[in-house]
Amino acid sequence: MDRDLLRPLARRVLSLSFVASIVLLFGFVFAVPGPPARRHPERIPVRFWHMWTAEWKDIVDRIVLRFNESQDRYEVVALSVPPSSNVDAKFLLAVAGGDPPDVMAQWKPIIPTWAESHMLRPLDDLMSPAERQRFFDEAYPVAKKIGVYENRLYGLPIGINVWALYYRPEHMREASLDPDKFPESLEELVLLGAKLDKKNAHGDIVRLGFLPGWFGMYAPVFGGGFYDWSARELTLDSPANLRCLTYLVECRKRLGLDVVTRFESAQNAGASVEWPFISGVFSITLDGQWRVEQLAKYAPGLEYRVAPIPPPAGGKRFAGSSDGNFMVVPVTAKRPDGAWEFIKFWSGLSDPERAAAFHTWGGWLPALSSVAKSKTYQDYLARYPSFRVFVDLLSSDNLAAPAPIPYQVFLADRITATDQAAMRGLVTPTDALRDLVRQVDEERQRRRVLHYGEP
Amino acid sequence: MTAAGDSLRLSGRQRALTHLTLLVLAVPLMLPFLSMVSTSLKSDAQVFEAPEPGFAWLTAPWRWRWQNYPDALRTVPLGDYLHNTLLLCATTVAGAVISSAVIAYGFARLEFRGKGAWFFLMLSTMALPSQVTMIPVFALFRWLGWYGTFLPLIVPSFFGVPFYVFLLTQFYRTLPLELAEAARIDGAGEWRIFWQIALPLSKPALVTCALFQFLGTWNDFFGPLLYLNDPSKYTLAYGLQQFMASLYGGKWPQLMAGATLFTLPIVLLFFFAQKTFVRGIATSGSKN
Amino acid sequence: MRKELRRQLTGYAFVSPWLVGFVVFTLYPFLASIYFSLTRYDIVTPPRFVGLANYRFLAHDAVMWHALLLTFEYALVAVPLGIVVGVAIALLLNVEVRGVGIYRTIFYLPSIVPTVASTLVFIWILNPQIGLVNDLLGLVGIVGPAWLKEPGWTFVSLVLMSLWGVGGSIVVYLAALKDIPFFLYEAAVIDGAGVLSRLRHVTLPLLSPVIFFNLVMGVISAFQYFTQAYMLQDQLAPEEATRFYAVYLFERSWRYLDMGYASAMAWVLFLVIVVVTGLIFRTHRRWVHYGS
Repeated sequence: MDRDLLRPLARRVLSLSFVASIVLLFGFVFAVPGPPARRHPERIPVRFWHMWTAEWKDIVDRIVLRFNESQDRYEVVALSVPPSSNVDAKFLLAVAGGDPPDVMAQWKPIIPTWAESHMLRPLDDLMSPAERQRFFDEAYPVAKKIGVYENRLYGLPIGINVWALYYRPEHMREASLDPDKFPESLEELVLLGAKLDKKNAHGDIVRLGFLPGWFGMYAPVFGGGFYDWSARELTLDSPANLRCLTYLVECRKRLGLDVVTRFESAQNAGASVEWPFISGVFSITLDGQWRVEQLAKYAPGLEYRVAPIPPPAGGKRFAGSSDGNFMVVPVTAKRPDGAWEFIKFWSGLSDPERAAAFHTWGGWLPALSSVAKSKTYQDYLARYPSFRVFVDLLSSDNLAAPAPIPYQVFLADRITATDQAAMRGLVTPTDALRDLVRQVDEERQRRRVLHYGEP
Repeated sequence: MTAAGDSLRLSGRQRALTHLTLLVLAVPLMLPFLSMVSTSLKSDAQVFEAPEPGFAWLTAPWRWRWQNYPDALRTVPLGDYLHNTLLLCATTVAGAVISSAVIAYGFARLEFRGKGAWFFLMLSTMALPSQVTMIPVFALFRWLGWYGTFLPLIVPSFFGVPFYVFLLTQFYRTLPLELAEAARIDGAGEWRIFWQIALPLSKPALVTCALFQFLGTWNDFFGPLLYLNDPSKYTLAYGLQQFMASLYGGKWPQLMAGATLFTLPIVLLFFFAQKTFVRGIATSGSKN
Repeated sequence: MRKELRRQLTGYAFVSPWLVGFVVFTLYPFLASIYFSLTRYDIVTPPRFVGLANYRFLAHDAVMWHALLLTFEYALVAVPLGIVVGVAIALLLNVEVRGVGIYRTIFYLPSIVPTVASTLVFIWILNPQIGLVNDLLGLVGIVGPAWLKEPGWTFVSLVLMSLWGVGGSIVVYLAALKDIPFFLYEAAVIDGAGVLSRLRHVTLPLLSPVIFFNLVMGVISAFQYFTQAYMLQDQLAPEEATRFYAVYLFERSWRYLDMGYASAMAWVLFLVIVVVTGLIFRTHRRWVHYGS
């Protein structure tokens, strides 16, 4: 039959095409150039890990390039490790495995935990007394809170992150609202936001006016927060926190939990150009100060304004949570000296004017007042008046920093889980907070019994 | 005889029903493949379009964005990853197959005290969850100074893999005794018998094990996650996951292009080595 | 006697790679992890003995129990479902319809796609607003759910992902089906048995050893479920739907540096697997039929 004749022929064709496709694949893949090797192989390499991606990675590369050009002893080799949910694991694995980077830029609340596990080298050891003095003189209070643990500096902040509300006056005008009269209270803002919502025929949200979310950020705005710095204790289930969580859940329920979930999942987190605020999907949204720079770059014509989160009745003005991008040096780093040179360079401890430029590229808030006061930075502020809101927030007393406890990572995870559980309507806010307190207490007890924090 | 003979007893209607069911089930099975490839050829904007214009895309091949593939390759050093993955595949396949064959021959053809117990022990290690050994093994490799290198991913395979040993033991048991006897009479040692007689005869089974190991190493995500540090050493599986994690959910076309490139060699390998794949799995399951 | 000794030594020599590997990579870690589970260990500093404290805390660790429950649920749903679907499809594929070879390929192919790639693709097609699945559902007027954003649907998605790869076991069943002696069917037909009856009395009993094997292996690997859930965390899927036991264990070891605690968790997992497997073995005499 024809079939019997076809078989060997088919096999032939198949094997030839297999070989051909392998050859093509290889050729294709190897023809495209890979990442460049080191440019200064004769210098001492300083391995630098960071979590920036997309065009932030480009900015980091520029800064690294500047550093390498500014001296000829070290070469910083940068590696972008994506900020996935387990990026800390990568770093820990490296330190535990004995092959860590020399310096790492982090923004997650890990300093106390890692310091206690003896993974981080106190930067005081690498600083000269003059440098140390200068840091403590010039750093903003919140910067000191973030980087210092048990009186030693483990992380030098190279940028503080602050969040505020971005809003579109154009949307407000459309709804016959006066953009100059931004609401003074959170309740008014929510009502205003409702006027700006738009839905399609299916009931899906097409434009979201305003939806407050993120328990960790709003807790201080309600007068709550997770840590009392004067009493030096956790304040997880304070009445203000409960009010906050309840309010957030209520706002969400008003729109419909299901509807909001669907809406949120369709948005990408918006690196730069794709930021949904630009396309008008959000009218009023909470985001970080780095968006100002991005808006200037990618949507220069867009009309927008910035305002701090208005407090609810009984809440606090100019409040919120902050965190920082900071540099840490592992205990087993091979070139801590090179790491320190790089840290000085970027943070502005050695040259505030030069470092100010870096901060403007990334839209970062400096940790050192000397950088903020430099001419470069002041010019930047003059060009982007919206940025001033962030600088004001930076020096506000109501800006909270992460709690300086050794189980900071654990706490951050539990708070996120609490937030999510309450937001999904799985537990009532009261129960959610109660669970949170219980879990944290158990963890503290466990640590005590297991002699954590003891040699 | 084949149970396919059974189908002779099925009515025409029952066979048609079977065919229909298979067709209906096959379609959703192919969807992910189709979506992967079609997305890899779209532009970023097209990805957000509703289905109707999306299907129109299918009929306009000149609009397909092949550019996504070089873009993906430039964003992620897939060439390096491929090189590393192939290196690992080659070494682990060699190690696993040869060591497992040697061990299997020992179990199948040689007599020594406690053999049955050792064999049973080996089989039961397959039930041990990897989590139990993960931390001490990591500590061991760290003590050896192997963290950050490929060694933790390669060396263990040289000590035999229970599954392959099992497969090959079955196979060696079926070898006719006379061959070995004849060789022994001629004065050959066991090693020679193994190397020159048994091993060549077991080629089909060896190829099966090689295929399994290749697939396993190609796919391995946890090993690189744990032991690799330097991005120039990343493998395809790990590199692709990192790529996904770094994208914030945008750039789906590039990501799908990467996924397609990652999957393609395996699919091609399958088409070429179908019979071996299938036979291998069949032997493993049925002879129990 | 010397010859006997030589025989023993030769045998051991051949098996030695496995023996050495066993001691180094299995036995030592096995014992070491028992020890670690009784310590506080952060892998950077030496371990410190704390007795059974880890286990005591494990007993009322709500997160752990939740993770265990989730993993259990997954095993309870995905494994039997996988077997039922696998056997059913194998039976269908055993019928000589036209193009059955193509169908076999189509069903087998997904099981060899690398896990990372398939998870990626599923994340993509299950995107609620722009993914293929909801697009298609929309075409017939169904509003698709938020697949990977709601805990219940995330679970369903993970089970679907595992079913997608059922092809691997289908091939095993197919081979076993072909091993069933034809005369048994003939005898059944002579006795007047219809299709379903033949299925019940001939096919399934003779398939039972293979099913048993797949059940045991399936359960063992279901309890260690990791990669897909881990990847889903990057996509901000709901925590309580992705924190499987192996994922929580990983977090405890590599995010909180609780190696002692994680070792205790590993041992609990091992015991659970042993108990469940033991239960399956105990019942197997009743339904597994070892053949003629």
